[in-house]
Amino acid sequence: MAADPAPAIPAAPGDVAPPRHPARKALPSPLDLLVLGETVHAGQHAIFVRSPAQRPILEHLRRAQGFDFLKDVTAIDLLGRDEAERFQVIYIVHRLADGSTLRVHAWLPEEADSVPSVFDLWDSARWGERETHDMFGIVFAGNPDLRRFLMPEDYPAFPLLKDYPLTGRGERRQFPLVRPRGDEMVEEAPLPYPTSIGRGMHTPEYIEEVKRESKPKPG
Amino acid sequence: MPTAAVLDRELSAGAKGGHLKHIFDVEREGDGEDSQRLVMNFGPQHPATHGTLRSIFTLEGETIVEADVEIGFLHTGFEKLAESMTYQQWVTVTDRMNYLSAINNNVGYAVAVEELLGIEVPPRCQALRVIMSELSRIADHVLCVGLQGMDLGAFSVMLWAFEKREMVYDIIEAVCGARLTTSWTRIGGIIRDVPEFFPDLVYQFLEEFPKLHREIHLMLSGNRIFKDRVQGVGVLTREQALSWGVTGPIGRASGLDIDVRRDRPYLGYDRYRFAVPVHSEGDCWARYLQRMAEIDQSLEIIRQAMATLPDGPVVHEDFKTSLPKKDAVHRDMESLIHHFKLVMLGHGIRPPKGAMIYSSTEAPCGELGFFIASDGTDVPLRTRIRPPSLYNYAIFPRLVEGGMISDAVAILSSFHVIAGELDR
Repeated sequence: MAADPAPAIPAAPGDVAPPRHPARKALPSPLDLLVLGETVHAGQHAIFVRSPAQRPILEHLRRAQGFDFLKDVTAIDLLGRDEAERFQVIYIVHRLADGSTLRVHAWLPEEADSVPSVFDLWDSARWGERETHDMFGIVFAGNPDLRRFLMPEDYPAFPLLKDYPLTGRGERRQFPLVRPRGDEMVEEAPLPYPTSIGRGMHTPEYIEEVKRESKPKPG
Repeated sequence: MPTAAVLDRELSAGAKGGHLKHIFDVEREGDGEDSQRLVMNFGPQHPATHGTLRSIFTLEGETIVEADVEIGFLHTGFEKLAESMTYQQWVTVTDRMNYLSAINNNVGYAVAVEELLGIEVPPRCQALRVIMSELSRIADHVLCVGLQGMDLGAFSVMLWAFEKREMVYDIIEAVCGARLTTSWTRIGGIIRDVPEFFPDLVYQFLEEFPKLHREIHLMLSGNRIFKDRVQGVGVLTREQALSWGVTGPIGRASGLDIDVRRDRPYLGYDRYRFAVPVHSEGDCWARYLQRMAEIDQSLEIIRQAMATLPDGPVVHEDFKTSLPKKDAVHRDMESLIHHFKLVMLGHGIRPPKGAMIYSSTEAPCGELGFFIASDGTDVPLRTRIRPPSLYNYAIFPRLVEGGMISDAVAILSSFHVIAGELDR
């Protein structure tokens, strides 16, 4: 991984050689070669690597440098953003001894099979990775529990992907609406989605829906 | 199958009077292939789950041998909503996370966006945010203690807690007009200055609340029944707490000395003198004592902040990022233009492209973090909430294994998991 000349991935736009985080300086040189870049915003450091290089780096941070607190695991979907890869998996690690925090961003191509899990380093990664899997569909290889987390277990999609629409793909319409009419219960078509949130207001689908809704209903 | 944890429990129960011993013996006889196991659903509609938490317990007798939890019943897609709402609009969503202390969520989010933008709010706004956060924290803690009492048979404590908590809600109502869904903060400030009678309300609260605090101590701290139910139950070690990312009162009750207010001071918390209480036992009893001790410190912070409450504006006076006053919008041209520039879609608050921040504040349940990534537009690329309840709750199945069903109730009420925040 370290040997092959990785194509240059810009860490972040406007990045001009910021001061290095002490934890990055303490990385041994084979691991430091895996780091593609580093950004600082408001005093917070983030190092960028290409998956699966985050695993040895996080292992070093945990075991050799004493970063004993994994605050969070999450991801960003950069679909359509003109970036080198689609996903970033983000680990926020913290050291209690001196209170230093470092974010590790791992670039992950869309076609990648999996990301190595870090649940053996920090137990908090178990649920952090599980939620990231549930929301983005990223598979964390080795995590013993990657069942659906917040979404139902038969849910067919990963909702935080950018190509997943805000109003869903009609999953809720699977539930029939049953109303009493006279003595019997009658199945009706489900109610339409509310779509009047923020940007959704201006989509052609919404305008179409408003037009449809405002027509007088037959009967 | 008697596990090591069950053995430990039995030993400690023996030391306390041995009320578990007989049940344990029966279990031992039933060990083996023909032992009878029962799978029980605990929740999502069980009064002791305080919301929509579902636990699946595998029981042998009344002993939990295996526990699993299922969450997500209250999942509302807050992070997905953030993809289509502007920074200012999303403040309203944060109310719905921990609905028992909505102010703390508002403040946490506002602090995060302000850190992303690199702006600092005026001193009066900082002090007011601190006062309201601490009032909210007291309301949250005292309710948790009350519910802990209620779940374990001391119903009056909950009613007393509700009565005095009402004073905090009166203050919140006087300050922002709403009780529960406060939406009090704005990016760069707060919605409006507090009314003139605000100090009277707060001082009255400061005078009356310590009475309740003493009463709860009298009611619970020496209560044999309560102590038997919580002492030595659900012991969480410091190592476990650190590895599972448990923060807040639960972590501090286990000796994990983390408090964002002290370690990474925001809103001028370093100006106030307060202690961070820590207990080392890590059981439900320590978590009860921890919350009671933290209420004391919050009262102390409010006293100091009220004594030194500065005058001045309550909104960061760069109206490129913070909304101008509403009456100014009605009166002068420039404020009107600023207002429109801020609320129009595609304009508004636009942090630099590629800016990312992880900002955390101390919410009543623990460390509430926001990871915000900007793409240079008025809508964030990604807003991630690090909910304290989520990481606190992850250890819950491990803690209840080996205990009794009634211990699970005691542990759950001492954890004070808020489903709105857990599921988001």
